[in-house]
Amino acid sequence: MTINATLTTCPYCGTGCNFYLLADNGQLTGVAPAADHPVSRGQLCVKGWNAHAFVDHPARLTQPLIRRGGEFQPAAWDDALDLVHSRLSRLAAQHGPDSLMFFSSAKVSNEENYLLMKLARAGYGTNNIDHCARLCHASTVTGLAETLGSGAMTNSLSCFDVTELILVIGSNTTEQHPLIGSRILQAVERGARLIVADGRRIRLAQHADLHLRGTNGSDVALLCGMARVILDEGLEDRAFIESRCENFDAFRTSLAAFDLQRVAALTGLGEEEIRAAARLYAGAERAMIVYAMGITQHSHGVDNVRAVSNLALLTGNLGRPGTGINPLRGQNNVQGACDMGALPNVYTGYQKVEDSLIRRKFSAAWGTRLPEIPGMMATHAIEAAAQGKIKGMLILGENPMLSEANQGLVKRALEKLEFLAVIDIFPTETAQLATLVLPAACYAERDGSYTSTERRVQRGRQAVAPPGEARTDWQILCALLQRCGLAADYADPAAIMDEIATLTPSYGGISYARLEGDSVQWPCPDAGHPGTPILHRAQCTRGKGRFSPLSYRPSVELPDASYPLLLNTGRSYFHWHTGSMTRRSHLLEREEHEVQLEIHPEDALALKINPRQMVQVRSRRGCISARALLTERVPRGQVFLPFHFAEGAANALTNNVLDPEAGIPEFKVCAVRVTPC
Amino acid sequence: MLKTLDLPALRQLLCAIAAEFELRVPVQPAPGMRLLAPWPVAEIALFGPPLQPKPTAAFFPQTQTLLTLGADASVELPSPPVRPLALFGLARADLQGIAFLDRFFSAPPADDVYQRLRRDALLIGLSGNCGTERKFLPLAGGHCDFELIAQGTGWWGRAHTPRGAHWLRELPAAEGADLTWLNEKSAQLIDEPQQLLARAAKLLVQERVPEEFWREIAARCILCCGCNQVCPTCNCFCVEDQLRGTNVERRRVWDSCQLDAFMREASGHNPLGTEALRTRRRIFHKLVADPQRWGEYGCVACGRCDAACPTGIGIFALCEQLVARYS
Amino acid sequence: MNPQEASIYAPRPATLLQVENLTPQEKLFRLRLDDGCELGQQPGQFVQVSLAGFTEAPISLASSPTRQGFFELGVRRAGRLTGALHQLLPGARIGVRGPFGRPFALEVLRGRQLLLLAGGCGLAPLRSLIQYCGDHPQDFPRVHILYGARSPADLMFQQELLDWRQIPGFSCRYTVDNRPATSCYNGETGLITRLLDEIVIDPQHSCAVIVGPPPMYRPVIAALRRQGLVGEKRIMLSLERQMRCGVGKCGHCTIEHLYCCKDGPIFWLEEIEQLRGAL
Repeated sequence: MTINATLTTCPYCGTGCNFYLLADNGQLTGVAPAADHPVSRGQLCVKGWNAHAFVDHPARLTQPLIRRGGEFQPAAWDDALDLVHSRLSRLAAQHGPDSLMFFSSAKVSNEENYLLMKLARAGYGTNNIDHCARLCHASTVTGLAETLGSGAMTNSLSCFDVTELILVIGSNTTEQHPLIGSRILQAVERGARLIVADGRRIRLAQHADLHLRGTNGSDVALLCGMARVILDEGLEDRAFIESRCENFDAFRTSLAAFDLQRVAALTGLGEEEIRAAARLYAGAERAMIVYAMGITQHSHGVDNVRAVSNLALLTGNLGRPGTGINPLRGQNNVQGACDMGALPNVYTGYQKVEDSLIRRKFSAAWGTRLPEIPGMMATHAIEAAAQGKIKGMLILGENPMLSEANQGLVKRALEKLEFLAVIDIFPTETAQLATLVLPAACYAERDGSYTSTERRVQRGRQAVAPPGEARTDWQILCALLQRCGLAADYADPAAIMDEIATLTPSYGGISYARLEGDSVQWPCPDAGHPGTPILHRAQCTRGKGRFSPLSYRPSVELPDASYPLLLNTGRSYFHWHTGSMTRRSHLLEREEHEVQLEIHPEDALALKINPRQMVQVRSRRGCISARALLTERVPRGQVFLPFHFAEGAANALTNNVLDPEAGIPEFKVCAVRVTPC
Repeated sequence: MLKTLDLPALRQLLCAIAAEFELRVPVQPAPGMRLLAPWPVAEIALFGPPLQPKPTAAFFPQTQTLLTLGADASVELPSPPVRPLALFGLARADLQGIAFLDRFFSAPPADDVYQRLRRDALLIGLSGNCGTERKFLPLAGGHCDFELIAQGTGWWGRAHTPRGAHWLRELPAAEGADLTWLNEKSAQLIDEPQQLLARAAKLLVQERVPEEFWREIAARCILCCGCNQVCPTCNCFCVEDQLRGTNVERRRVWDSCQLDAFMREASGHNPLGTEALRTRRRIFHKLVADPQRWGEYGCVACGRCDAACPTGIGIFALCEQLVARYS
Repeated sequence: MNPQEASIYAPRPATLLQVENLTPQEKLFRLRLDDGCELGQQPGQFVQVSLAGFTEAPISLASSPTRQGFFELGVRRAGRLTGALHQLLPGARIGVRGPFGRPFALEVLRGRQLLLLAGGCGLAPLRSLIQYCGDHPQDFPRVHILYGARSPADLMFQQELLDWRQIPGFSCRYTVDNRPATSCYNGETGLITRLLDEIVIDPQHSCAVIVGPPPMYRPVIAALRRQGLVGEKRIMLSLERQMRCGVGKCGHCTIEHLYCCKDGPIFWLEEIEQLRGAL
């Protein structure tokens, strides 16, 4: 019998908890939180405590599968890899490289994201690479890059221990980033003030000084209204605005449209509530804004982010401990996937594809010519595939069939592809549509590094062997790179990180040797640099913080007579995204094994829906069944669905209307009709 | 009779034990973290924070195979370990936790899955100056085969079973060793948390804790279930079936009474249907139900749940509030 | 202990002999252990039914040990396991552990006038006692059976409800909460407590047994007390909990310090009435 304990990073949310995976005879038996880790501090959430559970699930993919005559048949690795390469290169030759699309994954390591990015650009000559950040924080990456110069969380989780006030807007933190949520609860316990702006009565709301239950989609109005109050009452930080910001006058002028009366009407909030929130926020010496999908997943997601940024700039809540703009990244490596350039317009470290100097640098390093025009966003690629413009796709560890808006469209798009290769750990709904499926090692079976929401780069380590013939993603990607004629003889992920460091200023000082000790927060330009817990200290990354004049745009599809309820979607506490892991983790699936529609009891009464009754939820795009959960957690007129359940896919209903700049769908607002079954 | 050992003697003793047992000893993979690892190890962590995972996990791990069902309805039981386990470095609270589970799982009908690993296992306590930064931990005084009492640069060996005496037999006697003041010091250390638990238990029995208190605590609970995961006496489990080829592996997984589905029935009915009821259950079960059924608290005062709770509502924190407010 | 000896978690194979539809949601399964042994249950006990891939579920025994050669389980389709069970046909093999739990206290009930009250699918476990009483007429001279279901379609064992009336000393009345306008049902409607109030009993020499859904207990207990059924060992009831192991280990069925699977599922009212969350 051999027992071992392997320190690694949790595969679920972006908080970045570390734990020991406990194995007995090569089988995982449990999890123990890392007591000394600055984020976990000996604690985990329920998903972390059960993070070992899916690893040895019988449904794991264990051999390459090729579809022949409608059926998947096992294949040899070399044959499968040859097929991927020959089909992708043939499509590229016939229809141009931009007929290909590559989906990377916020679940795989930095090194693996880097390799797929390299494969798309250097191997197949297209910038068509993207990943699920498009669906979560694309608005942040676009918005904050514009206003501050860096699309990442400005501060650190330790800042919750010193802040005076926390404004949580559009983040159900105790459920979605539980160990960050618990820090907020502890901050409140020691006397920090808490404002929660969320239509739903989330757990944090029970502890808030102020709970603003505004209408979904009215955040620009709320935030601009608060800014207006702050200016009207002279609560702004003049010195900060003058020395650190630009474009203030245009911003101030734009606020003329946001008088309190109008803002109250748009948000459904009382004028006094908005005034109180503004005074509380502006009155704090150190105030943090925490936000997540409630801000970003709108057709005006980037405007929402700009409005958040305006508020922080206006009050000088930036660049100091206990302040900042703190977008909470959803996946354990969604920050890293963005950092690694798994995005259509940038290489690693947000170095622009359009910049010829940058392009020349990567071109020289990789020894090949690189495409000049930014590529296609994931959401646009789905539309393009449905139109027949994208012909071939390689999807690494993503499940757009459940995660993208408007499932009907996604299905049409994927079915229309001439070639679809999927690399994953389970036979997901997306893999079911593939031409070819490659079995991958999961987080517990590979080495790598991950970057958490606070830009903390840390190690994942292999605890057990992959099942059957499954291989690590980096090995699979190296094999494909070699088939493209590129050098890819990395000995291990550490060697890949060394290459990343040479090409990426913000990761310049990061190496596996360094990550063996404490983790490090980027930017970390050189080996001697201590890392950067707080961004924008003396000045913003872009120089001056830029104010953004805004106008209010309503959500695209609001309730009407035919579809009278507003559908809000998101995650539940016990499941993770498309459920491929958590629904195969016994305790988590036992706790929540079916899709439940949160509906206000008064709405249910009016619709003659009993507690726990099965209902039909219909939008203009689709229809699903769900069990009614009567709860005052949702306000009247709003219903909520988690998107984890294939048998009741919330994204069969959602609206694929996109933010024009960030390309993020409006997951948080569409109109539905609910009827008892 | 007390024996005496220094570090070389200890290593020698452990080597001898490892020849007959599957020995696990504490190691410190990182500051603040101590866990049991298979012998041999480069360095034994002879003092430090409580072991994680809880040592009871050696016999009742988070995931444990119960049996395998064949396609022909045959039943195959897990094979017993080739050699019995020996666990070294168990604190008094750890040993009490194991004793609690021993009694629980041996109550008729005895749990064969637990006993398969527990049978013949050798338990070696560690007490004295072996806590965090060599803080004094109370003497075990039993529930193990022998204990080592950390004393200056060495240890006193104290047998509690004939098997323990056998392992210590060749060591020299600790001349003039006297446990009197160590016993007194231990009693004081043990008494303080016991008093707190007793006061809280009394308030619970007297129904002096209002629902409002449990609602308030429940509002702070983020349902991580860590308190249950780390508690050495928590023994609730759920059962899952996993298809392996044509066989089905049936295994148990640590459960948590803080989860809604813990008692929820297929009809949706739930006798523990609110977070407040479940929070009360967590404490009431340890402090009132367990003493009533098993004759002692289901809390061994190890402090693990307080350390594992992200929002500060472990059993001590909660009992302190409870006593402060309702005494 | 020899490690190769049987495990407390090892199911015994049994074969499905017969399946009968009771209601649209409930079926009666007749089973026999493959080793030919009798199950040896007492009325009120339950078994853990094991289906490979679906784990186990606690199911009350619906037949009396006086009926030899088989045992019967009345199963409502409620979750994954019971759903899969409902798909099975005669000849199928399933696993069984048990019998488990504390049975009805026959030694106390014997000679008394019995009030047997069932609600919904609670009639299935009560049926084991009814059969037992019917098979020992000398021990149970007077038995009143009262049964309430939601609607006519939900009435279980409809033929037996009539047959039981034919047993000397037995009475059997049933009622439904709601009679749909389209139903040809011409029996009684209303709550079971109404039937109870209409019965004349001799409180000094009577015992009541209640098996029903949770909301049924408090009103029925109140009605029994109105009838003078007070004091110890007068009212027995069966509590339903999520028993996962049946042997007092898994912890899912605790009621304060009691384990429903070992200390119950049958309790005297006074044993549990004061326990939080029991009723």
